[in-house]
Amino acid sequence: MMQSIEGRELITLDTFGAVVRGTYHRPPDADADGYGQQRVGMLFLNSLSLPRAATGDSAVYWAESFAEGGYPSLRIDLPGLGDSDGTLPVELLDFINAGGFASTASDKVKELVERFNLSGVILVGHCAGVVSALFAAEKCVECRGLILMDPYFHLPQAVRPKVRQKLSDWALHSTTGRIASNLYDQLRQFYRRLRGSRPPVNANFALLKCWKDVASTGLPILLLKAPARKACGTKPRTGEFDYLQYVLKLAGRRSQVTVNFVEGTDHSFANKVGRSAIRQHTENWLKVHFPKAGETDPLANRVRHETSTNEISVPTTSHS
Amino acid sequence: MQEEAGYLPVPGAHLYTVLHRVAEPVARVLLVGPFASERQNSYLPWIRWSRYLAARRIEVLRYDYRGVGESLGLFEDMTFKDWNEDLQFLTDWFASRTPSLPLILHGLEIGAILAAKSFDGGVGDAMLLWSPPANANQALRSTLMRWVGLEQLLTPGAERRSASDYIRKLELGLPVEVEGYEWSPRLWSDSFHWELPSFPGGEQDAGSDQRGVKTVKLPKEAAPLVKGGFVGYDEVKNFDWLFEKDAEWIEAQALACGEGRR
Repeated sequence: MMQSIEGRELITLDTFGAVVRGTYHRPPDADADGYGQQRVGMLFLNSLSLPRAATGDSAVYWAESFAEGGYPSLRIDLPGLGDSDGTLPVELLDFINAGGFASTASDKVKELVERFNLSGVILVGHCAGVVSALFAAEKCVECRGLILMDPYFHLPQAVRPKVRQKLSDWALHSTTGRIASNLYDQLRQFYRRLRGSRPPVNANFALLKCWKDVASTGLPILLLKAPARKACGTKPRTGEFDYLQYVLKLAGRRSQVTVNFVEGTDHSFANKVGRSAIRQHTENWLKVHFPKAGETDPLANRVRHETSTNEISVPTTSHS
Repeated sequence: MQEEAGYLPVPGAHLYTVLHRVAEPVARVLLVGPFASERQNSYLPWIRWSRYLAARRIEVLRYDYRGVGESLGLFEDMTFKDWNEDLQFLTDWFASRTPSLPLILHGLEIGAILAAKSFDGGVGDAMLLWSPPANANQALRSTLMRWVGLEQLLTPGAERRSASDYIRKLELGLPVEVEGYEWSPRLWSDSFHWELPSFPGGEQDAGSDQRGVKTVKLPKEAAPLVKGGFVGYDEVKNFDWLFEKDAEWIEAQALACGEGRR
């Protein structure tokens, strides 16, 4: 069995107590040892319980693409996930939402930076992986940027009550259900207005604080949003709290947060449209914030608040 | 116990494999795992099953199908024939490592069909099947149904497509993307012909040539090894109720093989 093949290497990280396994995607112009030459690397963290390849192996596609573009890319399984050792808590979602993986992820960043001769890493997280990435970024001086795919800032229930599930199905599949659902949304909207701009009680306040601490430093952040049920673009469903607007305000004036909405995909971004859009948005963002040696920022002289409409793109809003 | 991950070169690709080495093994089990998008859902219990067996001195080899997970290759270009040939390659490789040890094949869902095809061709000393469908199409169809259900949640009424719409598309020779994997029309049409070979005796019995065969229809509680359940919740629950019985069955088969060889 081979540990390394063209463009890829299987890795085991075993310092700081936890044995973590992963895959390193080597840039084609890496040095003789295949390592990073003091470049910034991309580190993909698990989304909830998914293995490091992610849905439809989308993370493999992205890591391979970014490595081909000259950015060393790594995908690891955090302890207890995928191929890595360790035991997971039964309440995995609660564990992640409380930043349970932050210390390990931060330790592994240090290990990777040293081992692959990187100048730092950009943490990439999707869904629950966003939570891990944000909490890790707060602890990790080697973190140079964040790519956050379809983040959430509340505390979701791992298991939806059966009654609620049945109500959702009814609302989806019957005309009366749809009317009732719209009415319910309007009531929630009314209640929301009464509450003002305060986040709901089930907000993940620790995560929001972490976001504020991280984003307000000016760390480059790319936030990618997928379409959601009954939502319109980056705006949430009627009656739901607008977390995106809230966190952009929280980030403050020094922040460098770029928000892109990706149409034609779902929460996983795993279909062809989603994959290509993520790749394209990320490559554009990397050129702006992490240009390779000799590369200039193609957007440097352009106004950043724009709406682009190319083939796979999508209304784009930048908050810089 | 030592887990050794690596790439095994097969004609045209590299397969990601993990060998769970054990000291003084009593048997070897080749795991033919969850297929395509089922992999991401059932990975955690599948790995725990590998480790459970390894802890009982059973050496385990697991792998990703060509074009899936950490293995190389383009999924949309693959056929059941390719996956079947890869399995033949792996059984040869695994069997040649320690020829004196009994080799047991274990397949899950479509993996059960592939394992059973190999076993039917004379490979292995015993075989354990979890939830084998009658043919591969049955498994693809249930994956499609689940995915369509999720898609419908996001799609406004007029744009909603039913499973039949997608099946029609495949039958018209057009590919369909399901949970990030592009299903080729060929995958769909071939799937009808990849049937589970019949083994006389049924559950927990010996095959016609006296090699042990056990077929288990996994209950809903076995999610996410079977479809259903809650993502991020079911993967971490206790599966000992399932693992213990079947590990004992594997040990019994290994013992019987050992006695037969003496």
